[in-house]
Amino acid sequence: MRQVLASLWFALHSAGQNFRRNLGVSLAGVFTMGLIIFLVGGSLLFTHSVDTVLQGQEQNASHLKIYLSDNASLAAITNFESRLKHDPRVISVTFETKDQAQQQASQNPSIKSALAVLGSNPLPASLNLDVRKLTYLSQFNAEAKAMPIVDSTTPTDYNSDVIGKLNTVITVIEWVGAIIAIILLTISIVIIMNTIRTAVYSRRTEIEIMKLVGATDWFVRWPFILEGMLGGLLAAIFSGAVVFGAYRLFVQAAQGNLLSVPFDTRYTITLLIVLLVGGVAVGAFGSFLGVRRFLSA
Amino acid sequence: MSVAVAERSAAPPQHALRPVISFHGVSKVYPNGTEALRDVDLAIHQGDFCFLVGPSGAGKSTLVRLLIRDEAPSTGRIFIDGQEVSRMSHRKLPKLRRKFGIVFQDYKLLTRRTVAQNVAFALQVTRPGQRHMREKVEEVLWIVGLEDKLDKFPDELSGGEQQRVAIARALVHRPRIFLADEPTGNLDPDTSWGIVQLLLQINHRGTTVLMATHNREVVDLVRRRVIAIDNGRVVRDEAEGSYLREGTATL
Ligand SMILES: Nc1ncnc2c1ncn2[C@@H]1O[C@H](COP(=O)(O)OP(=O)(O)O)[C@@H](O)[C@H]1O
Ligand SMILES: [Mg+2]
Repeated sequence: MRQVLASLWFALHSAGQNFRRNLGVSLAGVFTMGLIIFLVGGSLLFTHSVDTVLQGQEQNASHLKIYLSDNASLAAITNFESRLKHDPRVISVTFETKDQAQQQASQNPSIKSALAVLGSNPLPASLNLDVRKLTYLSQFNAEAKAMPIVDSTTPTDYNSDVIGKLNTVITVIEWVGAIIAIILLTISIVIIMNTIRTAVYSRRTEIEIMKLVGATDWFVRWPFILEGMLGGLLAAIFSGAVVFGAYRLFVQAAQGNLLSVPFDTRYTITLLIVLLVGGVAVGAFGSFLGVRRFLSA
Repeated sequence: MSVAVAERSAAPPQHALRPVISFHGVSKVYPNGTEALRDVDLAIHQGDFCFLVGPSGAGKSTLVRLLIRDEAPSTGRIFIDGQEVSRMSHRKLPKLRRKFGIVFQDYKLLTRRTVAQNVAFALQVTRPGQRHMREKVEEVLWIVGLEDKLDKFPDELSGGEQQRVAIARALVHRPRIFLADEPTGNLDPDTSWGIVQLLLQINHRGTTVLMATHNREVVDLVRRRVIAIDNGRVVRDEAEGSYLREGTATL
């Protein structure tokens, strides 16, 4: 026990000494690591936010409004409606009459006054579809256009393929993000490795003596691994705080612009823990690689 | 083996025991092709004091490095205390090295630590948390005659004093074998003589001492066992030898 404590104290003390003696290199290492952790954490949070927003959009977006011609007979409409109802791609269909359309539109005061001026109701009746998949929207769009009962001037209303494209973009962002994260991870391991090499180099006499008098490899290694872990931890704490602050500002700014991005507390906490553990792990691993060469002799 | 038998007549009784160091047909070829040692056979017994002499580049340091398994021999076998070190696993090296105390021409002191801290360092990294560390450190510093320099830093000391600190550090874990590779290489004759006296004193306490040197005066004054190496070969092994072969100008 006494021995373990003394070893731990020796390792901690040496790690702190290394950090201070090579303060410039250590701080540069911590700063670069911090920047990388910030980039990883920031992009993860950003993708997550975009994802959340898009998922909400997807639910809104699987709507299709089919405008009906004023000349369409009620029988033809009912026929079309029941055909849609039995279509497996469809979740629900509702029929909106001209009057309902007018009522709906009148909620907006300027439209209400415009309608009052017109005297008649120019708004068409419509069938409102909810479909199971976004990709069905374009299929229904094409089918509707071929129907004689559908208003030929403005047959349908839906978000066309914007959503689909955004989805592709998200997938691409996620892939690119993953690849960049792996590259950044490798870079941070190399950075830690080189920081530790500097520390090892400035302690080469000490290491030589340790090996000569019969210290074990792990005894030689621990101070450097602790130093790497310390660096990783510091980097993760600082960049984690910055990521957290930036995320809050982002959410606030987005809400100011009517784009409702929810503040996901659970995701954020998980992310911060992952960043901390990741920073420490990367620090330990980089240091391990950094001292390895000097111990093999 | 023949060497050990030949010497037995002049040797104290404990020499009948198994040698503490033995080399059997040891050669060392460095990766660049340099043949540093060729077919070396050697036996050194507990309590021996040996000079390892020879010109620069003869292979003295290589022999020392093989002993502490800093390098592995290319062929042959080396035993320390009956344990074969030539094929020892990396994991066992710390234990092997604790049997040795070793000093070099450059003293390898830590400049940011005091004399006492330099000596204590050897204990801290091998036996962390050991009790009575301070007393042990003071005791060895008293043996080397530096009991009044405990809190000085190495660059406040003379070369001879620095080498004494290195000797104290090598002694603090009570090694069975003391290795000194050109310990007087950087010192003037008087100081060198003081260091050799100290090594003899350490030997007198029962520790086996092997000192590699090309300091002719010292070897000729002390007249102890001399192992001469030239071009990687043991060319002479005498119980009470001099630096050069008696009555000649060659090793
Ligand atoms: N690490 C090494 N790699 C290659 N050659 C070496 C190495 N160390 C020593 N030598 C060579 O081996 C020979 C013996 O060197 P060394 O044992 O240092 O001799 P000494 O200590 O007697 O001066 C010399 O020719 C030297 O150049
Ligand atoms: Mg040498």
